[in-house]
Amino acid sequence: MAELTYREAVSAGIAQEMRRDDTVVFLGEDVAAAGGVFKATVGLLEEFGPERVRDTPISEQAIVGAAMGAAMTGLRPIAEIMFSDFFAVCWDLVANQIAKTRYMTDGQCSLPLVIRSANGGGSRFGAQHSQSVENWAMAIPGLKVVAPSTPADVKGLLAAAVRDPDPVMFFEQKSLYATKGEVPDGEHVEELGKARIVRSGDDVTIVALAAMVPKAVQAAATLEAEHGISATVIDVRSLVPLDTLTILEAVGRTGRLVTVEENPRLCGWGAEIASIVAEEIFWDLDGPIVRVTTPHIPLPSADALEDAVLPSAARIVEAVRRLVD
Amino acid sequence: MNILMPQLGETVAEGTVAAWHKRVGDTVEKNELLLDVETDKAATEVPAPISGVLEKVLVEAGQTVEVGAVLAVISAPGERPEAGSPGFDPGAEHIELTGESDAADEPTLITPINLSSSQDRLRLSPVVRRLIAEHQLDPHTIEGSGRDGRITREDVLAAIEHPSSVAPAEKLADSDGDTVLEPRPPLAPEPSAAFAVRSEQPADRVEPEGGRIAFDRIRRVTAEHMVRSKATSAHVLQAVEVDFAKVEQVRLAARERWRRERGYSLTYLPFIARAACLAIKEFPRINASVDGDGLLVHSGIHLSVAVALDLEGLVAPVIRNAGDLTVSGLAQQIHELGRRAREGKLAADDLSGGTYTLTNNGSYGTLLTAPIINQPQVAILSVDAIRKQPVVIEGPGGDAIGIRPVGILAQSFDHRAIDGAYSGAFLARVRSLLETKDWAAEL
Repeated sequence: MAELTYREAVSAGIAQEMRRDDTVVFLGEDVAAAGGVFKATVGLLEEFGPERVRDTPISEQAIVGAAMGAAMTGLRPIAEIMFSDFFAVCWDLVANQIAKTRYMTDGQCSLPLVIRSANGGGSRFGAQHSQSVENWAMAIPGLKVVAPSTPADVKGLLAAAVRDPDPVMFFEQKSLYATKGEVPDGEHVEELGKARIVRSGDDVTIVALAAMVPKAVQAAATLEAEHGISATVIDVRSLVPLDTLTILEAVGRTGRLVTVEENPRLCGWGAEIASIVAEEIFWDLDGPIVRVTTPHIPLPSADALEDAVLPSAARIVEAVRRLVD
Repeated sequence: MNILMPQLGETVAEGTVAAWHKRVGDTVEKNELLLDVETDKAATEVPAPISGVLEKVLVEAGQTVEVGAVLAVISAPGERPEAGSPGFDPGAEHIELTGESDAADEPTLITPINLSSSQDRLRLSPVVRRLIAEHQLDPHTIEGSGRDGRITREDVLAAIEHPSSVAPAEKLADSDGDTVLEPRPPLAPEPSAAFAVRSEQPADRVEPEGGRIAFDRIRRVTAEHMVRSKATSAHVLQAVEVDFAKVEQVRLAARERWRRERGYSLTYLPFIARAACLAIKEFPRINASVDGDGLLVHSGIHLSVAVALDLEGLVAPVIRNAGDLTVSGLAQQIHELGRRAREGKLAADDLSGGTYTLTNNGSYGTLLTAPIINQPQVAILSVDAIRKQPVVIEGPGGDAIGIRPVGILAQSFDHRAIDGAYSGAFLARVRSLLETKDWAAEL
C-alpha cells in the first residue's frame, strides 16, 4: 500500500494501463507538457512519449472526435475534457455519435474509450467551471458513468473503464484532487457497477457519490456521536451500471434512505434511486425518502454563497435527524 | 348481518361452499352450524355468528367465491334487512368498498381499525403498515416513539416481541355491523406479503420476448407453500449414500412377473418408502409437526409422495397408514396415486394429512436434491439417481472393489423440531434397512 493523492492516482491509473496495453493513448488540452491544469497527469509524457500522450488544440469537439475515430480504428483512447462543464460543446459527439455507435452498427463497431473530466464545485470557479453534470451523462443510453471518491477507486475504476469495451464517462471531483488515501500496490482494477459500503449502521442509509461521500461519512460520525443515530453510508461509485442490489439491501434493512447529491436537484441521480427504492421496496420503508442536493440554480462564484448551496455534513445531519426522529 | 366467506388460511384466496345446514327462513342460534366451506387446503364448519333468521342464501353449495364475498344474510330478531343493502344484491359476489351503500351495512372486510376517518387518522409508514398487517396488531395500542407520536418500525417490532402490551386486532372487531370470521384480514398489503409471490406486476412493465406465463392455481399454491416453508422451518440438509444391491437383487428377480401381472414397473421407490416407514417407527419424531412451542408426534404414518405433473406442476398425495403396508402394497398405492394425480382425479382428502414426504427426482439422473419441507411436517426425503458405481466392499478376506447400484438419499429436516444427530440416526437406519433387509419377503 502506498499513500497517493487523488490527483496522483489519476496518472498512476493511466500509466498502469498504458504500460499494459500499447493501444492505450491519452489526449487533451495541456495534458502532456504541462502535466494537466490540475497536475493530474504529470510524468505521462516523459514515460510514454509524444506519440501516445498528446496535447491538443483548444477544441473539445476535436478531442472527443479524435478519440472516437481512434477507438473505431483499434486504439483505446483516454480523452480529457478539462472541465466537465465543457461537455456541453461535446454533446453531439458524445450523445448522438459515441453512445449510439455500437447499437447503430449492430454491434460491429464498439468504442472502447474513456472521457475523463474534472467535475463539481467547491473550488470557487464560478457557474461555468463548477457544475456537477454526472446526471447529464446518466440520462444518455449507451454511456457508462463513473465517479470515484477515493484515490484507490480513481486508479481501480479508471483501469476498469479503460478495459471496458464501451464508452465510459469518468468524473473526477476537482475538490478531491488534493485528498490522500491508500492505494494498493501493483496492478489494481475495480469492477464497474459495484457500490461500496463505506460504513454500516442500522437506522438510515445515506447514499452518496464522489465529493459527497466524505461529507456523508463525516455526517454519519456526528450522527453516531452526538445523536445516537447509526447510519450506513454507501458510495455509489458507478451510476451506470447502478448497483441496485446493494442499495436495496441496505435501505430494506434500515427502512430509511437519504441521498446526497452535488448535482442540481431536478432530475438528479438521487431521484432515480428514490424511484427505484419506492417501486421495489416500498413496504420496507419507514419514512419518506429524503434527497439532499444543490438547489436548482447556477452555482454562485462568491465563496460564502457556494458553501451555502452545496450539500454539507451539517445539512446531511439535519436531514437525517428530521427523518429518524 | 352479512355472512362472509371466511379467510381460512394466509394463502387462501377463495373458498367453496360445500353444504348449507340451514335453509332460507330457518331460525338459527348463535354458534349453531350454518354451513361447510372447503378451500384448496382444508374443509371447515362455519357457525352462525348471531342468532336470527336466515333471510337469504347468495352462494349455493358447490359455488366457489373469493374470500370476503357475501354468502348469506341473517337478520337478528326485530331487524329486517333494508332493500338495497349489499347483502341483498343477488348478483353480488364481491364486496364493493367504493359503493355508495350505507356504510353501516358495509361488510367489515378490510379492517376494524378505521384509518381513513379523519378523527383518529394515524400516519403509518409503509413498513409499519405491513408489519401491523402481518402480525394483526391494532396500531392504536402501540406507543409511538417518533415525532408527534408517530409509530416507527422499531415500535412495532418491540410490540411484536412483547405482545402482552398489545391487544390483538381481533378483540376489537365485534361491535361492527358485520363479523368477519377470523383470522382477520389485514390492513394492507396482502397478509402474506412477506411470503407471497409478487403476482401483481405494474401494467406498463416491459414483457420479455419469451412472454409472461401467468401462474395457474397449482403454481401459485406451490410458490406460496415453498416460500412460507423456507421462512417457517430451519432447514438442514443431510444425505446418506446407500448401496441398493440387496434391493436390486429382489427387484430384478420380480421385475418381469410384476410388469406382467400389474402392468407397471417395480421401482426402487416403494422399497425406500418401506424402509423410511420402518425407520420412523424407531424414530417417531421424524413423523411430526411443530405446534407453537411443542412437537405433535403422529402415531400413524401418512406418507406424502410428490408427483410431478408433466413438468407443469407438483402435487403430493398421501398414502394413509403407509406404516401398515409392505413394499407390494406401497408400490400399488404409489402407482394409483400417481395415475390419479396425472389424470386430475385426486380428491381433497388425498392431498391433506401427510406426516412425512418422499420426493423422487432420480429419473433425471440428479445426484442430490435439497428438498423443501412440506408444511407442517418436519422432514422430507429426496430420492435421486441410483447408478452403478465402483464400491469398496469389506469382507473377511480383505477389501475388494465391486460394482454396486448406489444412490444418495437426502433429507431436509426442521432444526426447530429435531437435531442433526436424530435425523442422522434415522437416515443411518433407513440405509441399514435398505442394505440388509430380506426384501424378497415383502413382495
